[in-house]
Amino acid sequence: MASEHIARGYDEELRKLNNTVAEMGGLAESQLGTAIQAVMTRDTELAAHVVEGDVKVDQLERELDNLAIRLLALRQPVARDLREIFSALKIGSDLERIGDYAANVAKRSIALSQSPAVRPVYALPRMANLAQLLIKDVLDSYVQRDADKAYSVWKRDAELDEMYSSLFRELLTYMMEDPRSIGSCTHLLFMAKNIERIGDHATNIAENLYYLVNGMPLEEARPKGDTSSVEVMMPDRAPQ
Amino acid sequence: MSLATARQAMPMSSPDLQRTEGRPSPRQKVLIRNLDFYYGTFKALKNITMPLHDKRVTAFIGPSGCGKSTLLRVLNRIYELYPSQRATGEVMVDNENILSPGLDLNLLRARIGMVFQKPTPFPMSIYDNIAFGVRLYESLPRHELDERVESALRRAALWEEVKDKLHQSGLSLSGGQQQRLCIARAVAVQPEILLLDEPASALDPISTQRIEELIAELRPDYCIAIVTHNMQQAARTSDYTAFMYLGELIEFDETERIFTRPKQKHTEDYITGRFG
Repeated sequence: MASEHIARGYDEELRKLNNTVAEMGGLAESQLGTAIQAVMTRDTELAAHVVEGDVKVDQLERELDNLAIRLLALRQPVARDLREIFSALKIGSDLERIGDYAANVAKRSIALSQSPAVRPVYALPRMANLAQLLIKDVLDSYVQRDADKAYSVWKRDAELDEMYSSLFRELLTYMMEDPRSIGSCTHLLFMAKNIERIGDHATNIAENLYYLVNGMPLEEARPKGDTSSVEVMMPDRAPQ
Repeated sequence: MSLATARQAMPMSSPDLQRTEGRPSPRQKVLIRNLDFYYGTFKALKNITMPLHDKRVTAFIGPSGCGKSTLLRVLNRIYELYPSQRATGEVMVDNENILSPGLDLNLLRARIGMVFQKPTPFPMSIYDNIAFGVRLYESLPRHELDERVESALRRAALWEEVKDKLHQSGLSLSGGQQQRLCIARAVAVQPEILLLDEPASALDPISTQRIEELIAELRPDYCIAIVTHNMQQAARTSDYTAFMYLGELIEFDETERIFTRPKQKHTEDYITGRFG
């Protein structure tokens, strides 16, 4: 928000909208971090804490919706102001989904900690670190209204997709080698998928920010590094 | 060139007119070129160049004193009532410069109707308010005049409300009705261009909506220019918007573009209420 409105209350409301998005983002990011910590330390209490914390993310989203509806009804925003509010709403629902995925990872970590540890679990924090970094960077780009930075987040999601594909193959191999690990590995697979989806929401946010700043959609085809959905597994043949 | 041949002249083409989707490209009805206007020594319009399209609504927005009403006043040469006011440049209506001195002003004003901010009904009956202007330009048999009055009142969405009291004074109507009466009066002489100078600013929200609806209904048959301080009204009623500031045309574009993604920061500051 470069210059100020004649009606100062308008600026105040837009600032509050921005702050709520930033607060939601920070919370979603830390939820993911804590969830991964719970996975790695097999700390069910910490995991339960993350699951409870999701309520706060949802609550912030409702606050955001109310603020936006109020602004739309009372200020009749146009041009950049309208994009500010429209983007905040869309970014809000992406962050809410990110919060859900983090809570999901935490829930599965409780189940996972009941069974013996499996090796591939160590690939998970690498994915989560990258996902967290994407969230952090896209939030920074939101706060700074930096479309270039958002664009770089948008491109880096391909890396996360590749990590997911490789973890997917690794888990399949592992399950074939040792069918007793299927339960744990399936949980890990879902967690990895959740983290991969978090990356997709980060790219959505990047797209919204790009639109907010430039007034035009980011139109390049979305980068895709994940090929697991078309992967064919033969039971008698390990994947390449 | 006479008015009659001018009206049939080929439309001018311009590359920026091809963008309105799903409808035939609009024709330039009016082309304002390098227009300057002076109140005595004060230069109120500075080198304005822009088109008005036929069968489209063009809105003029900008802060008070930016020249938007002045521009409208130039289009039917009302300013000539005041000796110290003058315009230079060109206002081409169907390829004929209406600023040229030889032009018949009465004929010009029959082609270009104007409605003002405050309703200005004549102190006469509703019927005569409409018939007065028609009688100036045409001598119609009684039944044809009746038909003209009725169709003008219908066009202005006023007929149903006044058909049983056509011989009551126009001043007995409400403000919103009076304004629609003025629009009916302008429409009755079958003009080509309608100039509306803040036509709804003195009206309540319901009457305002009626006027806006009326503009939408008149749009397929006229070239309409509207000056308004209400930006939402400009956004709702117009196809094109011109933003003016201190006598200059800052930006002219399709209304949708102006209100979503204006090119000029100045325009954006004004429409978002950041004007300092």
